[in-house]
Amino acid sequence: MNLSLVDPFVLAQDYPESTTGSLRSGHATCARFNRKGDFLAAGRVDGTVVIFDTETNGIARKLKGHTRQVQSLSWSRDGRYLLTASQDWKCNVWDLQDGSILRSVRFEAPVYIAEFHPLTHLKFVVSLFEDQPLLVDISEPQPRKFSLPSIPKRNQYDDEPISDKQAAQDAKHSTTVTIFTSFGEHILAGTNKGWLNIIDVNTRTTIYSTKICTGVVIFLRLTNSGRDVVINSQDRIIRTIQMPNLSVVDLDPDTIDIEVEHKFQDVVNKLSWNHVAFSSTGEYVTASTFNNHDIYIWERNHGSLVKILEGPKEEHGVVEWHPYRPLIAACGLESGRINIWSIIPQQRWSALAPDFAEVEENVEYLEHEDEFDIHPQEEIHKRRLDLEDEDIDVLTVEPVKGEIVDAEDAFRMPVKLDLNDSEDEEEFIAVGRGEMRRKSPTQAQRDYILDSEALGDDEFKKGKSGRRKR
Amino acid sequence: MSDVESSDPGADRHSPKRRRISAYDSDSSSRRYSSADDNGERRIYRRSSKSIGCNDLPVRRISRSSDGSVRDRDHNFHSRTRSSSGNHAIHTPPSDEDIATPPSYKPLKINYKQKFILKGHSKGISQVRFSPNGKWIASCSADGTIKIWDAVTGQHKRTLEGHLAGVSTIAWSPDSNTLASGSDDKAIRLWHRATGKPYPAPLLGHHNYVYSLAFSPKGNMLVSGSYDEAVFLWDLRARRQMRSLPAHSDPVGGVDFIRDGTLVCSCSTDGLVRVWDTATGQCLRTLVHEDNAPVTTVRFSPNGRYILAFTLDSCIRLWDYVAGTCKKTYQGHINKKYSLGGAFGIGGSEGFIASGSENGEIIFWDVKTKEIVQRDIGHKGVVCWVDTSPTQRGTLVSGGLDGTVSIWVDVNEPEHALNGISKVKQEESTGTNCLNDDVTVMDGVIPNGVSGYGGDDTILNVRRSSFEDGIPPKKSDAMEED
Repeated sequence: MNLSLVDPFVLAQDYPESTTGSLRSGHATCARFNRKGDFLAAGRVDGTVVIFDTETNGIARKLKGHTRQVQSLSWSRDGRYLLTASQDWKCNVWDLQDGSILRSVRFEAPVYIAEFHPLTHLKFVVSLFEDQPLLVDISEPQPRKFSLPSIPKRNQYDDEPISDKQAAQDAKHSTTVTIFTSFGEHILAGTNKGWLNIIDVNTRTTIYSTKICTGVVIFLRLTNSGRDVVINSQDRIIRTIQMPNLSVVDLDPDTIDIEVEHKFQDVVNKLSWNHVAFSSTGEYVTASTFNNHDIYIWERNHGSLVKILEGPKEEHGVVEWHPYRPLIAACGLESGRINIWSIIPQQRWSALAPDFAEVEENVEYLEHEDEFDIHPQEEIHKRRLDLEDEDIDVLTVEPVKGEIVDAEDAFRMPVKLDLNDSEDEEEFIAVGRGEMRRKSPTQAQRDYILDSEALGDDEFKKGKSGRRKR
Repeated sequence: MSDVESSDPGADRHSPKRRRISAYDSDSSSRRYSSADDNGERRIYRRSSKSIGCNDLPVRRISRSSDGSVRDRDHNFHSRTRSSSGNHAIHTPPSDEDIATPPSYKPLKINYKQKFILKGHSKGISQVRFSPNGKWIASCSADGTIKIWDAVTGQHKRTLEGHLAGVSTIAWSPDSNTLASGSDDKAIRLWHRATGKPYPAPLLGHHNYVYSLAFSPKGNMLVSGSYDEAVFLWDLRARRQMRSLPAHSDPVGGVDFIRDGTLVCSCSTDGLVRVWDTATGQCLRTLVHEDNAPVTTVRFSPNGRYILAFTLDSCIRLWDYVAGTCKKTYQGHINKKYSLGGAFGIGGSEGFIASGSENGEIIFWDVKTKEIVQRDIGHKGVVCWVDTSPTQRGTLVSGGLDGTVSIWVDVNEPEHALNGISKVKQEESTGTNCLNDDVTVMDGVIPNGVSGYGGDDTILNVRRSSFEDGIPPKKSDAMEED
């Protein structure tokens, strides 16, 4: 509701200008905003997931349950559940109502990326290291995993039986990224050979394939509207494509046609990109650079580079754009901080004194006829009161444009005031570039054994306090 | 008994009863309405408090007068009130003609009757607040305690003790499980509602009395306004001062959060109401009335479109903060000296504004027509605060300088009519006798040793920690405790 008071020039600013701060808790390796943008989840090297409140820049929750670095994060639509994938070969689904683990699913290989179904938190898709991607249904306590194909669908016109050579080629395909389309009816999968497959969720078959790039597909991300996809590939080119409408009733896979809309690359320096993200509206694309400190922003109408954000002198990994504000968060690879770029608004001094106005040029002041007339106090008072004949409604809530309207029973993460945050943030010591050592490995291991605490393990507590003192 | 006494340093009979009285009361004799508090205490209460015994008073005075600027402003203020007071001489206690009966064309029909009188506080009550779920009422008092009452039965639930001085303000967290209180001991404390225990560390940072508090709608932030002229935003999870808003050049009287949490408003005795952007901490708008009357309380309207400002010229103004204009002025009550507070309520489909008055009345205005739709004697002396139930339509609570809390219900609301208070004679003329037979008087005085607090040890600890934080211990108190 502050929009009506904010300077329109500030509101018109679409992308961040300068670094405005950083968030720190341990060494963060990945980050993601929830749909409303009030929380930012961050996964750490030690497997802890930290949820930052973007309003206070404080820590709202700490989720402990992984033992290795967190690889990817995904929020459910209502913001209540968080899916985390870790290098410990596990995916956890957290219920943020109380911070408990709703489901923990173990896989046979390390997980690249796990992504929630857009409409339910009981389904997600994972892409695994050198293994088939899986669709996981966790509606039952025992998770059900369904294997998804990686082999691209061959064009029907060359209907000769697949040659041995081709079969051998196909066998080498493995899927590196999987995400759901906006309605969750299809899965987009990127392969190590640069192919993009569209997989039907119900039949779990590939309905369309196209070779989109020459290198490994590293990352895929949809816009909020779901109409566009950005693809980061190892061939140092970021591509955006417009999604065909896949929710037509009688969808003919043969009519699907995917063409690259824009290619973003740095021709001069041949930079490769660590991570990409869309802006809130999809108008802009941002990327962090490999072996470089800068964050690039392109706009999509003309495909031109609009801004190179400079910030702390370190390379950035995951980069994320706030769901509606011109704010970018990126994880520093070296320090493990989450650096924030945003807009620093200027205080309008006319807001401080209501009888002042800011003018562009000098204006000659014209005195009103009755400006310095003296009226009796009572008369002024009465005149004022007579003017107050407007109809006032103090009760009806008018919807604010662009605001995500909550349902009555919308989830709100409880504010934990007794969050025991005595944990030393500096539990990792940098021992070299990008290398961290845990201060006391036993302690960190023990943090996950929550049962021992529940049992009132006195030994454990004594040890803990002893260590604190030191 | 000694138990209770010792846990309540404010039991000192001589210490002046305090209330949210503005600093300008330094020379009381000039005050036209000093007779408004008719409970036998002719003394004008400074914002001194229970922790200040008689012998301490001069100390406080010296400390204040050493600040020359404050003094000067005080005098300015006096001249201002004097010059303008002529306008308001009309607003003396209501005559019978003033008692407005709702005209027939008006849809707003309310008829609030006193249902419970809750006794227990030993001193004046500065604020009463319904919890957001409507189940409880919290009241805070100059006696340094906060009491929680059942909003339906009026039963006393808990007494929260720990502040070293009178408590000026309380606020409920949105989940109704936490209560924040601000006191003259400069600390803001957070309390568990269920256990009555305080969270270990108070929020410290204000250099002077904490005067007003409000939770953000999500419950992650708290805004506080203080006599030190600052407005602070607190990160409640970390108990960290997040932002300091360079708000005003005079004590801050009231603060409030808008319903979506994006704006904060604050007001001050310098006559300004400022609207702030929560996210950036910038001032987005300043509202000022030509008369520059000190603003003591601000509240956003339920839909967040307007700001209600209570001023010491006996007016309540409704501002459109986007346009920066005053839309309505509500008059008819007396508000010259105390920080009175009121609330928006709903009767039928229309909104009303309820506020106390310094002559002991509670007054209800129709938001649209500005007309008084009901007025009733509620307390002996000043009615400091009125709050409406956020869930139960037609329920209202008031707290007065006489140390009592009253629960009122609208007998026109069908629910209440069925609820066993149909006995209340509806035709009875308003404003005559508040203590009719249907009023239940509840006693909230806690029996010896059963303070909801958990034991005196805790109290001692709390106090000591406060001392360490630079709050000078009151000698006599410390002696008693040890």
